[in-house]
Amino acid sequence: MRRFNLLWLAASSLLWAVAACAATRPHYGGSLRVAMREMPQAADPTSLIQAGASNISRLIFDTLVVLDDRGQPQPWLATEWQAEPGDQRWRLSLRSGVSFSDGAAMNAAAVAVSLRSANPEWKVIAAGDTVIVETDVSHPDMPLELTLARNAIAHGGGPQPSGTGPFSLSQWLPAKHLTLIANDQYWGGRPFLDSIEVDFGRNDREQLTALDLGRIDIAEVAPENIRHARADGRSVASSNPCDLLALVFAAPVRSEEETHARNALALSIDTAAINNVVLQGGGDPTGALLPNWLSGYAFVFSPPTNPGRARQEPVLAKQVASFVLGYNVADPVAHTIAERILLNARDAGIALQLTTSGRPDMTLTRIPIASANGQIALMELAKALQLTLPQSAGGSATVLYSAEKTLLQSRRVIPLIHLRQGVAVRLAVHDFNMRPDGSWQIQNAWLAEKP
Amino acid sequence: MTFRRRLLLLFAITVVVSVAAVTGIVSVMARRAFDRATDERTTALVAQFRREFQRRGEDVRHKTQGAASSTAAERIALAAAQTSPDYNSFLDDARVIADAQRLDFLEFADDRGTIISSAQWPAKFGYKEPLASGAPASAPFLREEETPSGTALGLFAIYALPAGDHKLFAIGGTRLDRTFLSSLDLPAGMRVMLYDNGANGAFASDRVITAGEPIPGAQLLAPLVQKLQRTPQDASAVVHWDSGDETVNAFPLIDERNRLLGVLLVGSSRQIYTELRTEIRSAALIASAAGLLLAVLLSSFAAARVTKPVEELAQAAREVAAGNLEAHVTARTGDELGVLADSFNRMTRDLIEHRQRLVQTERVAAWRELARRLAHELKNPLFPLQLTVENLLRSREHSPQEFEDTFRESASTMLSEIANLKSIINRFSEFSRMPQPQLREVPLLALVSGVLKLYEAQLQKFNIQPRSEVAGTGTIAADPELLHRAISNLVLNAIDAMPKGGTLTLRASQSHSSGRIEVADTGSGLTPEECERLFTPYYTNKAHGTGLGLAIVQSIISDHGGRISVNSQPGQGTTFIIELPAGREKLAVENTHA
Repeated sequence: MRRFNLLWLAASSLLWAVAACAATRPHYGGSLRVAMREMPQAADPTSLIQAGASNISRLIFDTLVVLDDRGQPQPWLATEWQAEPGDQRWRLSLRSGVSFSDGAAMNAAAVAVSLRSANPEWKVIAAGDTVIVETDVSHPDMPLELTLARNAIAHGGGPQPSGTGPFSLSQWLPAKHLTLIANDQYWGGRPFLDSIEVDFGRNDREQLTALDLGRIDIAEVAPENIRHARADGRSVASSNPCDLLALVFAAPVRSEEETHARNALALSIDTAAINNVVLQGGGDPTGALLPNWLSGYAFVFSPPTNPGRARQEPVLAKQVASFVLGYNVADPVAHTIAERILLNARDAGIALQLTTSGRPDMTLTRIPIASANGQIALMELAKALQLTLPQSAGGSATVLYSAEKTLLQSRRVIPLIHLRQGVAVRLAVHDFNMRPDGSWQIQNAWLAEKP
Repeated sequence: MTFRRRLLLLFAITVVVSVAAVTGIVSVMARRAFDRATDERTTALVAQFRREFQRRGEDVRHKTQGAASSTAAERIALAAAQTSPDYNSFLDDARVIADAQRLDFLEFADDRGTIISSAQWPAKFGYKEPLASGAPASAPFLREEETPSGTALGLFAIYALPAGDHKLFAIGGTRLDRTFLSSLDLPAGMRVMLYDNGANGAFASDRVITAGEPIPGAQLLAPLVQKLQRTPQDASAVVHWDSGDETVNAFPLIDERNRLLGVLLVGSSRQIYTELRTEIRSAALIASAAGLLLAVLLSSFAAARVTKPVEELAQAAREVAAGNLEAHVTARTGDELGVLADSFNRMTRDLIEHRQRLVQTERVAAWRELARRLAHELKNPLFPLQLTVENLLRSREHSPQEFEDTFRESASTMLSEIANLKSIINRFSEFSRMPQPQLREVPLLALVSGVLKLYEAQLQKFNIQPRSEVAGTGTIAADPELLHRAISNLVLNAIDAMPKGGTLTLRASQSHSSGRIEVADTGSGLTPEECERLFTPYYTNKAHGTGLGLAIVQSIISDHGGRISVNSQPGQGTTFIIELPAGREKLAVENTHA
């Protein structure tokens, strides 16, 4: 009997050791369940990006070029590229043996169609195994621009195009649900996960509740909830401060008084209080467009909060300008921030009115950082703000600083806070990472337990 | 205005005034009674409002105390007890607690007055709350609270809970809104409204809160509210809504610093009073109409009894004035009007008798005057006749040889006097047989010129200056011979009036309907008495006149349908004025007959 007990103990220990070892080692299988607040209406790259679901887009679609950890372009679907003098004509060599999830081969013709669709102003020519991109103006940053998610290569039109990514679309209910299955033919190797189930249109509370109940594995966490989510014992990954919360004016400055008024408004806003209380420290107050970790010079544009100076701005200017501030009525945090801005502006003697409809003078806007490369991020930011980025050569910090300063001096935008992105992840999910720019690394993730 | 109309008017005024007076008195009494009832109901409603106010105040106080006792509040108090408190994580706590306690307003503030968490305006964290200092008010109070959508009137309570060495203030409140108003038990015909005075004081219709639907035309309450904004005292006014009148009593709601926060408006429909007043007025209208009808009937009856004899008297008087002395009034009653009718009849009888006597007297006088004139006229030729006959007889007896000469001379004299007698008789005969005028178109200028030319030598003889003033070349319808004779008669009179010379002026003018001829002299003139009797037959102031000349002139002019008048002053000459109708229509008729 005693021997039996010893044998039983030894066998149990062996089984536990094997099981423990198996649980910590990557293995194939399982379905990852994700909830998101976004509600994309189509599953093409452009629609997913516009809806804020670029992380899903990256799972289905690859780009020709990717950025490495240092923000430098690296080959992906394109193996090499070369520019002709003047940087108006680029030749890209394509990776061979890659096919779309619908079975079609990824060739120059398919890539040309996809790029032309995303960039109508480009002239894209398929030439054998290479693609030639011609532009009207010099494009020294073409490789960087090709890293953008909107330039991902898709095949076939309609709301469900095919991609060359690690996952392929299996089921699509617009704005509600998405099922991705592992692409066995993925040129970079099959992902560990068999599938990913994505529920759209779930608010933060629903997502965290579902996560706590074990119904989902990954939940988005809003910046203002990151601290609470961590305090409640959840595993929360967060990005660097990246998304820009800003006041974006609809029209350029028309008079000197209006410049003073916008300056007074910028000075009056207590961004620290908004960040600490409303956003619960979920961001960094800023006076710059690009976050400091991306540009390296953002500290120069320190938050301009100075109610005293705001009150000293010319009274006439504040009387001339009365602003109407618009915000997203569906976002309660934006509502509170807008009201706080109203209170701060009122303290400085600025007439401010809130609206959720019509055509406001300015809008409280959240602009995602499109790239981990400062140069391309600023370019995309300027495009999102409908501002013209000054022509500059190279992507040095000095050039970027000069360009950003010019954008800020236009007073079309008042940067407020750079927001972090967060996700709460169940402990069973392994090797899920969030990059500094907030993008997800999910293709190498695996589940420790069988579904 | 006739007596009958006056009588009708008097009756009508009496009836209308009486009915109006009764209506007014009844209306005033009804209104006073209604106002008394309204005042009593309003007082009861205001008392009910105050009771509800106190009850709600106690409710708010308990809920605020409950909010301060919550676990979340204790966490806030724990943070407030720290030396360097971190309030960052309490943004939504007040809202959550307020929802749990069913409070509309809830703020947590530390004893430095810093708002830690606000349910009504979450973005107000870090701002100052003036109530969170010193000793909190023990009783609930009214307050105008600032919210993102504007100010809101609320009933508040403060509760202070210990936070280490410090205090944490929980300031809770509920809105004075339609829910509050709908909890009041209102009598029929009454309603209660609440005006939230707001911050700027300007009246705004959307600040009028009711228990039901918003009031259309709430702007009508503006004068009453503005009156309380100027002087926060009870006031009332009648508001004329489209749906009817309403008495609105206004009561100021003030805070501890005597600032007007709101106005309680208690409306009492005046529909009942309006209906009553309408009924009274309808009854008065009917009574007035009936009274007026009665007045017409009564006045007609009275007129028949009173005014008819008067009207008969007036008619009889008019007939008497027109010359009919036979007018007679029948006396129907023995009253004053009967006596008046008898007197009138007696008066007419007397007038007839007097007239008859006067006619007889005048007739006798006329005959006497005629006899006198005849005697006088006949005596003048008869006396020479008598002397001539006596001279003939004497001559035959005493000197027959001279008788023949005497006879011829006497015969001549007698023939002359007989001719004179004959002339006198002819003139009288002529006066008695004046011919009717034969109308023709007579040019005025030719008429005047003809007369002056006829007497040109005679005028020159008496050194009289003739003057003719004829306006235009008009004509009149007249008998040229008779008119010539009449004017000649007047010219002869004028010549007689100017024995020492003077000026004779003949003027003639014509209008559309008449002609006018004036014969003016510059003689000795006439006295008023002479002017009065001038046209009387046989009257003359001349030694050799028959007194028939001007009578004949008057007869001629009268036969033409005209009139003659005289204008004279002693020593200033005399002017005879003849006015004749144009008479063209008569001329046309006569020509047609011809």
